[in-house]
Amino acid sequence: MAGAEIPTAQELASQGLADRLAAVRALRRLADQLEVAAVEEAMRAGWSWPEVAEALGVTRQAVYKKHARRLIAAGVKLRRRSP
Amino acid sequence: MTRFDSYLRSILERGAEEARKDGSATIEAHHLLLAIAAEPEPSTQEILTSAGLDYGSIHAALDREFEHSLSVAGVSRAAAGLPRPRGVPAHPRPGPSFKLAMERGVAALARKRDLRPAHLLLGILGAQVGTVPRALTLAGIDPADLRARVQQSLATDGEPRR
Repeated sequence: MAGAEIPTAQELASQGLADRLAAVRALRRLADQLEVAAVEEAMRAGWSWPEVAEALGVTRQAVYKKHARRLIAAGVKLRRRSP
Repeated sequence: MTRFDSYLRSILERGAEEARKDGSATIEAHHLLLAIAAEPEPSTQEILTSAGLDYGSIHAALDREFEHSLSVAGVSRAAAGLPRPRGVPAHPRPGPSFKLAMERGVAALARKRDLRPAHLLLGILGAQVGTVPRALTLAGIDPADLRARVQQSLATDGEPRR
């Protein structure tokens, strides 16, 4: 095992980079968790798919595809997808 | 079905369960690591125990890695006011880190029929960057040292006839 003493500037820079890349991944994961919780709450509160989609800034198809099955499985009463 | 096949199957099932608990649409390498820690298979249990790891400590290390990585961006999970994700996607699919771990585990071997449970662990520990090595390091475990333990276990634990 070679020296685990003082990290070189290069090692520190590399660690900083690894941290920033990991932060991106962690933020995506957190955003995903926020989305899952918020979409479920919105649908329970009676929001429609188009409203949720517009609020998230994505298409209706995208939000439906991502969440419908899970929400149905969770027993959430969904409003009709399209008028 | 060989012994390894049935081991792999229970790891995949458990890994999928870990992904669901995590609210993840994909099964990642760290879900496999949790699955391995939860599976009462002697050779992998012995390796993990020798490094002071078990399911609970790996879980805690992964949580810590998540918090730590968020903090780099100035964010905290607590501040986001999130409930723990409730069992989300019905059928999580293998994610990129899962596939890499499998490739690395199998790549270590010339013949597939020689695969043993510890090879899966070796594949997961083959990652130099990413969630697993970060979580281990934060928990005070040197990933290279753990990898060496796995290699040693594979070498001494009756390498099947060559």
